[in-house]
Amino acid sequence: MSAGNGATPSPAGAGAPADVAAKPGRHREASLYHALHGAGAGDGRSLAELREAALAAYERLELPVWRRSGFWSTSLQSLDLDALQTSIDERAVPDVVTRTLPERPRAGRIVQSAGAVVHVELDEQLAERGVLLCSLEQAFAQHGELASKWYSKRLPLDRHKLEAANAALWTGGAFLYVPPGVVVEHPFEIVYAIDRPGIAQYGRTLALGDANSEFRVHEYDLAEDFDAVSPPARSAGDPEAPTQSLHAGAFELYLNDGARCRLAQYQDWGQGEVFDVSTRFVGVGRDAYCHWLPALLGGHLVRQHLELAVMEKGGDMAFRGVFCTQADEHLDVFAVDLHETGPSGGDVHWRGTATGESRASFEGLIQIDPGSQRTHTYLQIHTMMLSPKARIDAIPSVLVSADDVSASHGGTVGELDETAIFYMQSRGLDRAAAVRVIVEGFFEPLIAELQDEPLAELVRAQIAKKLAAAREDIEAYATSR
Amino acid sequence: MADLEIKDLHVRTEEREILRGVNLEINRGEIHALMGPNGSGKSTLANTLLGHPAYEVTEGSITFKGEDITAAEPHDRAQAGLFLAFQYPVAIPGVSVANFLRMAINAKRIGEGGEPIQVKEFRTQLQHAVELLDVDRAFTSRHLNDGFSGGEKKRAEILQMAMLTPDVAILDETDSGLDIDALRTVAEGVQRLHDEQGLGALIITHYQRILHYVKPQFVHILMDGRIVLEGGVELVERLEREGYDQIRQEYGEQGELAA
Repeated sequence: MSAGNGATPSPAGAGAPADVAAKPGRHREASLYHALHGAGAGDGRSLAELREAALAAYERLELPVWRRSGFWSTSLQSLDLDALQTSIDERAVPDVVTRTLPERPRAGRIVQSAGAVVHVELDEQLAERGVLLCSLEQAFAQHGELASKWYSKRLPLDRHKLEAANAALWTGGAFLYVPPGVVVEHPFEIVYAIDRPGIAQYGRTLALGDANSEFRVHEYDLAEDFDAVSPPARSAGDPEAPTQSLHAGAFELYLNDGARCRLAQYQDWGQGEVFDVSTRFVGVGRDAYCHWLPALLGGHLVRQHLELAVMEKGGDMAFRGVFCTQADEHLDVFAVDLHETGPSGGDVHWRGTATGESRASFEGLIQIDPGSQRTHTYLQIHTMMLSPKARIDAIPSVLVSADDVSASHGGTVGELDETAIFYMQSRGLDRAAAVRVIVEGFFEPLIAELQDEPLAELVRAQIAKKLAAAREDIEAYATSR
Repeated sequence: MADLEIKDLHVRTEEREILRGVNLEINRGEIHALMGPNGSGKSTLANTLLGHPAYEVTEGSITFKGEDITAAEPHDRAQAGLFLAFQYPVAIPGVSVANFLRMAINAKRIGEGGEPIQVKEFRTQLQHAVELLDVDRAFTSRHLNDGFSGGEKKRAEILQMAMLTPDVAILDETDSGLDIDALRTVAEGVQRLHDEQGLGALIITHYQRILHYVKPQFVHILMDGRIVLEGGVELVERLEREGYDQIRQEYGEQGELAA
């Protein structure tokens, strides 16, 4: 395989020549906006070897810039990485976690604060049946063979500096294993929390669903609303105290034959200056199924490479997503619906809104590899701009290398429907309430698909909160037209 | 002073002047019919009364319960007790009829400094309204107007009216596009709200048939942006006999209605 250009997929990660990622311009763009391909970095190497290789890449690489000419660029240049620390001395579950997570039955919960896992719990009956939920560190110590077999199986480690940083420097981490045939009703909760500025959190999750297992995973990414302008440390007299925090995450979920998983992610990094650059890969095995819904609801600068791959025949998936940016937030999502074999099914449906001067970029790629005959997939992205200075770009693309397939995409770019607003106003709702009803209705079809009322309520509440914060902005926009 | 007083109302859109001096008074407990040919300004009047932003009042005033509401926000007019049943109700995907109604009721209650409605009280009221309008209870858990037939949309309008208990309701061609059964249900609903709640209504219509089921005490004929003729229910019969053309010949060129 050779390094790619704009038209064909190429190997990124382990197989890619190191200089491709470092070169500016065309090569770099091409290497950053395409699907992960072939084996990941793991490929038989030990954890120590991987960490060493990643560290070398980390030292060599610059902070990344993702660029789509004429559309957007996502730059990490403003991140002061040297000012951040990976704290492994955390002991307490941050308040934001207890405050946010719904009270509800659960199968287990693992919480990482900064660089340390501070809480692990697992339903006893599930533990007896062989379910594992622990830190990834512990998994390597106690279930080394299983962890090594799957760790970084598809994730590369050197496409950019922060990916390398994660692979080299991760601590804590989460490991979930659901044995063959085990069906779990309630969700496993995996939580990454940042409670102050100055933190570099390298979160690493490895989750495995063995044959015919059935389970739910809810990931929460949360930060306190720390004040980015004058964080506590600065107020206390340290003018150089950092204002930023970083979550550079890597997530892998592999579903073995016939496994079924509903995976949801609730992300709200709050009002602080939190950067999130993460890569997530979900691999769907033979006749397996995954429903995946990230709700990306807050963060100063968020870049997500999300990949849902049907790796074996008969795999099927539904890839959903919602986002809702406000103020000066910047969101860059690259979502891939990858079919490595056929027959397989796919269905991608995302919805997003933007207020304030926020920026949301969504690139959705359907990629059907050679030999993936009888694949049927559809990608749709619907967006709604709620303020004049907000901008959303949505680029769907299709890369098909098989002939007996159906793959198509669609989408809408909407503004608020003034007729609907007047209709609701004529019933006594003020403009802000009417707008909220419209936006909530816009998101509701996907939120309902969570099929999980506590989480759905949380997502609805966060969207309502963000709309309330943007209320004046939305009103000014509507009256100006 | 009448509950709703429209004085010398002139209204224009970006393109042209549509209402050219409308005078009208409506009280609680009165049923008025406003009739007129297409393009006479009926829907403009309806939308203007609720403050639609596309219509600009250039002269005159609208007073409701003693307050000048000419420049008021639509939701303030609604909370004060005005209601508009739309000619073309808008679909609101993602929100059930019941949830929407609760939001609207609470908006009014909270606007008046009160407490949100109790679940039990709301259910009782909803049940009553559902029976009054002869709709299926399951109807209220569907998304508002989303995928509704023409008749269902109009019933949903009257259901909302029954729940929000306005003082004066404007029904903008609620009869258009309805089969006779739906028309009867809608008309009987209006009549009962009048009888039970003392609703005042302005029934705007192009045709006479709804007026066979709801008996107006006052009839107004609108032509070219002015009310050219007023009277009792006998005007409806005259219109049925003579049509708008005859009336236009008599009054159309005359301009302002002589008081």
